[in-house]
Amino acid sequence: MTREQKKLLDELRAVDFTLVETVLYLDAYENCEEALAYYHKQHARREMLAKEYERLYGPLTAAGNVSRTSWDWTKEPFPWEYDAN
Amino acid sequence: MWIYEKKLQYPVKIKNPNPALANVIVSQLGGPDGELGAATRYLNQRFSMPKGKVMGILTDIGSEELAHMEMIGAILYQLTRNIDPEDIVGTPFAGYFVDHTTGVYPSSAAGVPFDNKYTGVKGDALADLNEDLAAEQKARVTYDNILRMVDDPDVRDPIKFLREREIVHYQRFGDALRLTMDELDCKNIYAFNPSFDK
Repeated sequence: MTREQKKLLDELRAVDFTLVETVLYLDAYENCEEALAYYHKQHARREMLAKEYERLYGPLTAAGNVSRTSWDWTKEPFPWEYDAN
Repeated sequence: MWIYEKKLQYPVKIKNPNPALANVIVSQLGGPDGELGAATRYLNQRFSMPKGKVMGILTDIGSEELAHMEMIGAILYQLTRNIDPEDIVGTPFAGYFVDHTTGVYPSSAAGVPFDNKYTGVKGDALADLNEDLAAEQKARVTYDNILRMVDDPDVRDPIKFLREREIVHYQRFGDALRLTMDELDCKNIYAFNPSFDK
């Protein structure tokens, strides 16, 4: 994995982590306006980063195979490999 | 349903394989307080919860536990890569190796295969949520014990992340218990099963 790919992947993981935390918080505190606004802000950023990642480095989900000519979903490395992190 | 995302929740990048560590860390996959038990516990308890908010908390935490199973699997996989079988004769990992080679098999540190007894579904919202509060604390203690034995920063880093998640989940299960208690029928002063005795 190149330095650039790792940087983008780490950014995506970080924003996804903020979403995991915010979703759990909103489950319990649904009336918190600040949390809901933060959720929408982070979600927009997540969508942007995920789209960019899939365009450059291949699908994050099986539905994200951007290429019309190659099946990239099963390309290595898989997430548990040393080189994938 | 679920959709798989091809990335770990938090990176696992271990330079130096160390099968002896895998032999204790495997408990957080298939041991009594491991991630497999946590995922099955929460995802099955959901069905008998009386309130949408609590169904949501169990769904979201249960799903996160699946991502934690994958992280523990990645730790075990990387700790046991490129090993020489002759080097593990007489080590704690030898017994695991002879039964499972370097496959990722859910068992406890003592070698007991995963047991569905760890799942803990009682079909009573209050019993189940109290179980979950205890489960998060027990998992946190297990991570503390692993951290007492591990020096390698490459291994400590993802284990510390997982330990912190136990603390956050404990907070959210506290909220879930409070939300359930707040909405009990006011005549149900002893908090009998709100999932069944409606």
